[in-house]
Amino acid sequence: MKLAPLSVPYRALQKAGRLAVTLVFLGSVGTGVGFGGALVAAGVGGAIAVALGYEFAYYRRYRYTFTDDTFDIESGVLNRREREIPYGRIQNVDISRNVVQRLLGLSAIDIETAGGGSTEAAIRYVTAEAATTIQDEIRRRKRGGDQQRADTAATAETANDTEQREQPNSERQAAGDPTEELLFEISPSELALAGVLSFDPRVPGLLFAVFTGSLPFVSPVVPEPEGIATIGVDPTVVWFAVGVVLLAGLVVLSWVVGAISAIVNYWGFRLTRSETELRYERGLLQRYSGTIPFEKIQTLTITDNPLKRQAGYATLAVETAGYAPGQANDRGSEAAVPIADRDRIDELAAEIDGCEPGTFDQPPKRIRRRYLARYLIALVGVTGLLYAASVSVTELTALPWSLPLVGVFLAPIAAHYKWLHRGYRLAADHFVTRNGVWNRETKRVAYHRLQTVIDSRTVFQRRWRVATVVGDTAGSLSLLGNDAAAVDIEIDDAVSLRTTLRERLQASLAARRRQRTTVSAATSTTDEPTAAADESAESDADSRPDDDHHR
Amino acid sequence: MNALHPRIRIVWILRSVIGALVLGGAAAGIAVFRSLSLLVPAGLTALFVILGVGHAIMRYRNWRYVVGDDALYLERGVLTQVRTEVPLVRVQHVDSRRSAFERLVGLASTVVYTAGSRGADVTIPGLTPAAASELRQRLKGLAIEADGEDAV
Repeated sequence: MKLAPLSVPYRALQKAGRLAVTLVFLGSVGTGVGFGGALVAAGVGGAIAVALGYEFAYYRRYRYTFTDDTFDIESGVLNRREREIPYGRIQNVDISRNVVQRLLGLSAIDIETAGGGSTEAAIRYVTAEAATTIQDEIRRRKRGGDQQRADTAATAETANDTEQREQPNSERQAAGDPTEELLFEISPSELALAGVLSFDPRVPGLLFAVFTGSLPFVSPVVPEPEGIATIGVDPTVVWFAVGVVLLAGLVVLSWVVGAISAIVNYWGFRLTRSETELRYERGLLQRYSGTIPFEKIQTLTITDNPLKRQAGYATLAVETAGYAPGQANDRGSEAAVPIADRDRIDELAAEIDGCEPGTFDQPPKRIRRRYLARYLIALVGVTGLLYAASVSVTELTALPWSLPLVGVFLAPIAAHYKWLHRGYRLAADHFVTRNGVWNRETKRVAYHRLQTVIDSRTVFQRRWRVATVVGDTAGSLSLLGNDAAAVDIEIDDAVSLRTTLRERLQASLAARRRQRTTVSAATSTTDEPTAAADESAESDADSRPDDDHHR
Repeated sequence: MNALHPRIRIVWILRSVIGALVLGGAAAGIAVFRSLSLLVPAGLTALFVILGVGHAIMRYRNWRYVVGDDALYLERGVLTQVRTEVPLVRVQHVDSRRSAFERLVGLASTVVYTAGSRGADVTIPGLTPAAASELRQRLKGLAIEADGEDAV
């Protein structure tokens, strides 16, 4: 199959656009050296022509096909490339469309597999229908590659099917799987809340970078201490006022930016599930849709902060081993429920991974003193630096260096909450951890998803006789060092936790292997739906969310 | 529990001495340029060498590894002590490698890769070349036996 014909002009203009900008820039510089405007125009025209020609050749050469067990892509004008991706290895298939692409009816597809930081296959622009077809076809083939198992599961599936048909209210996607079931759809009030409660922490950093760069331009605006002294106001007060205003402005701006980007990102968010995977759709300007097979889900993360807790809301993120698409410029995992009722989130999460609720084991209470000491040391450090600056640099004598000391009153509270939020829990099939002072993160990792178990103790931890146990997974957000971690637990607990995690990993893998063999044994006797087959189909359905279908 | 080959200390000490010399050289350069006493860079170099040697010795003392029935277990670290369990099912591939320093003292390392994000590669240094390739073979065998299909 081929790309969409309209992708030729679109890609050509995309490419020529970049070239044209360079040329126009060169032209504007070069007019002094004798470059004519005509020459630039000719250059731009030529660039477009060349790009069109190239893209046409690209279009002619590009071909993707579905074989029995791989998805093949042949591409390249000068360098030819043939790529085969086994269906079983595909983690997620994502479709995205920006405004222009939507007008032209084009879709971009990204296919992710585990391993490697980059997208395995980026199909640049097929028609919208073709995109959905590819997504559905890959899903179908993934399942088809395991036809024997599908047969056994068929009984369960049809039962599920009829159940669905009896409920005409349940929404389904016209193009999608008929068994698709709506799990979650964002309501306007939730979207508004998501916006209101979003604070973009990147904005202060960005502003800082911009402002330090443009400080020479800003400084004339800031009143000079000498100038103020003549008015008769204490310069310290002015500095303080300016600081407060700047800080308030920063907070408001971050908040507005966060709100807008959250609303644009999560416009029309809906999450559906079929028998084997989750499918999400979202976005206002750029429309994203993607699928996440249950068997590839690594971690579920539920996040809340005091504001959200007060209002009874929480956030849910689903991680796979694939590189989360657009992560670099986007807000984390794509399949995240930005905000929803706490109960809805808990229900949805349980629906996805089947983890039961429970109570957390907390670090020893004495560790609060360590956190408090840490905060106090940091505060003293900052104050000391400010003081040193105010003493050594004459312009900064008015610096309110003692301001951070206000934090001394907050430190005990923060230390207490840090301890309170920390904890871990060994559920029947999951290792659950909770961390964070302001943003409280609960991570759930199925035992059979653990990769390595790391137990570490820094010098300071050893002094307090505590250790940190990290359950490393192949998740994508984990690249930022956000693995499920039981931090600052007693050393003895850490040792036994480490062993327990290893044992449960082995046990759950063994259980899954047994299950696979029973199922394949049962399917070999296809004619008669024996009790054994029924049983295995049932147990299969029970553990469906994290079942391994790719074999 | 296995300890590393004692000669690995030579590799680590050599590395830290070279690092200290580079740092000391830079410090000496600055001192000469600003016509200051050379005592400070010399003292710094000596300090780094002492720290490096101490660290290497402690590191060697704290390093332990064992290949169990279903997991590779490592214990290491001086300031931060780390204990890692690598289930053999999770092993993606195994390398044995020899750096220039290691060749100098006739040692080799084995590197075990998993699909994880943090402990994605685990290095066991200080093995004799024969031991390194034997360990590689053994881990490979055990990983295959442990059924690597659940690697992710």
